[in-house]
Amino acid sequence: MTHVPDPIPFGTPAWAAALREGLNGSSEYRNAAAKWGVGWNGNLLLAFEADGALAAPLHLFLELAAGRCTRAEFVGGSGRDRAEAGFTLRAPFSLWRDILERRVLAATAILTGKMKVEGDRLALLRHAGANRALIHVTGSVPTRFPS
Amino acid sequence: MSGLRDQLKRQIEGAVRDAGAVPVERTTNFGHLFRSAPRLLVEPRTAEDVRATVQFARAKGLTLSTRGAGHSQSHLGISDGGVLLAMGSLGRVLEVDDRALTADVEAGALWGDVVARLKPLGLAPPVLTNNLNVTVGGTLSVAGIGVASFRYGTQGDQVVSLDVVTGDGEAVTCGPDRNEDLFWSVVAGLGQVGVITRARLKLRRVKPLTRTYYLLYDDARRFLEDARFAMDSGRFDHIESWASPSPQGTKPVGGRRQVFARWFFPFHLTVEFDPGAPPDDAALLDGLRPYENLYTDDLPTAEFFSRLEPVFDLWKRGGTWEHVHAWMEAVMPWETAPDLLDAILPDLPPSILVGGHILLWPAKGSASRSRLFMRPPGENLVGFGILPAIPPKYWPEARPMLDTASRLSIAMGGKRYLSGYVEFTEEEWREHFGPMWEPFRASKRRFDPDVILNPGFVPLDERRPAASPAA
Repeated sequence: MTHVPDPIPFGTPAWAAALREGLNGSSEYRNAAAKWGVGWNGNLLLAFEADGALAAPLHLFLELAAGRCTRAEFVGGSGRDRAEAGFTLRAPFSLWRDILERRVLAATAILTGKMKVEGDRLALLRHAGANRALIHVTGSVPTRFPS
Repeated sequence: MSGLRDQLKRQIEGAVRDAGAVPVERTTNFGHLFRSAPRLLVEPRTAEDVRATVQFARAKGLTLSTRGAGHSQSHLGISDGGVLLAMGSLGRVLEVDDRALTADVEAGALWGDVVARLKPLGLAPPVLTNNLNVTVGGTLSVAGIGVASFRYGTQGDQVVSLDVVTGDGEAVTCGPDRNEDLFWSVVAGLGQVGVITRARLKLRRVKPLTRTYYLLYDDARRFLEDARFAMDSGRFDHIESWASPSPQGTKPVGGRRQVFARWFFPFHLTVEFDPGAPPDDAALLDGLRPYENLYTDDLPTAEFFSRLEPVFDLWKRGGTWEHVHAWMEAVMPWETAPDLLDAILPDLPPSILVGGHILLWPAKGSASRSRLFMRPPGENLVGFGILPAIPPKYWPEARPMLDTASRLSIAMGGKRYLSGYVEFTEEEWREHFGPMWEPFRASKRRFDPDVILNPGFVPLDERRPAASPAA
């Protein structure tokens, strides 16, 4: 009998820890992101803007380099957090949810301007495979989203 | 018998067919993405037939779409309830002037027929497309690119003059120095302002033989450095390159396992030469740094021009010719071309290239004067094309990947080449043409005031009939 893990509430330390574990256990991410953040700041700040389904904004900081995640933590999203991140990806929560549930491609959201990028957009696009793998692993965390 | 058909038939020498008599293959094009039936199919025999048909369509409030060999992939070369003018019936190679180095050809002539006629004279058009089974009028309408474009620009740059029937039914001769606004609106103008009926093409003398060096690179950046070196060296007459996958196994991409490949970069460099005076191989290849020098091939020049025919035959015999062809081609700035390759190739499944391939073509921006062949600023450019043949049932699966590749190419400063699969929003069309958007619209208003020509693709006007997806 297959064990189905219990969904983890989105936005909690447990969810962030599960994501870190998922990234470090993913051969897809390890290979696709082998060159990500090597010699440059590959840390990401994912900004989930409040909308109908999310009462207050959330910010997830990911410390990423060479196919490994060494820190995943929900933070306040201050200027300091943004400064520590090489890139900030900002979108309404409902769009993030569409991406994580595979209804929308992250690349499409970025390329059509629906997701805002702070940082070197070209570098982000160049590593399309790393970002696709990151999104896949993130979307694979068993999640209970706020309704 | 249809009243409309009878009325038009009385005015022209060519054939006119009702919707019910339109062959099914003329309700779609090489893309097999859209299917739509014209109300009338017209096969003109003369330029006067074209003029009369345009005037007829205008008077009856019908749209008029033009079709050459039907090699387009988006909503071009087909008609949704209007008149489809199939130009293949106006396809003669007329006069060749050996001294002035020009050839007069009807718009529906195939480039292959032009080459065949010129072969005994030791002449050829400076630029030839890889596929010679496409028409002169068709490729001039999208620009026309080939393996000598790095030197001679587009086929549209190698035209002395064009006879055109404008959308208001006037027959006009135009060229780079005569009615030039019309000329540069027709070249790469997607059939929006007029119908080409005849072209006077520039020719060049060719040497009888070619030698092609088949070099292979295992690194995109080194390949691009050498491609630039080869262009700048002036040593070569033709330059062609591909990206070629060597399947290695399977890996997860977005959680689904798919075949992945190590990519290599074949680089084919060709020189023409006279019998008894073979090229100095070592001198020609000096300074190039391929992973391997695979093969050196000598061919009669006319055979070199049709070198890909066996490949096309293979695709036809394999059945992939009838698949969906959603070709994503873009002209990239030199600086970002490697980034685009980095972004796309690692996760591109080699299987998408069964019956297709990936083209790379180094180019020089200043080689073309075409106003509507949009390209990035800068002298050194790289064309990149994913040219797949997709079984129709897999099109929905493949489409997001090609859409993403298209958007990536644009985000990295590229411009799409418009003969392939293009689905732009109006805003994206404006962005594509940039400063040429308003002049293009002005030409449309001037030469096609009733907006009858080739609707359904570039939205220069508000009339844009919906197309029915075929796949």
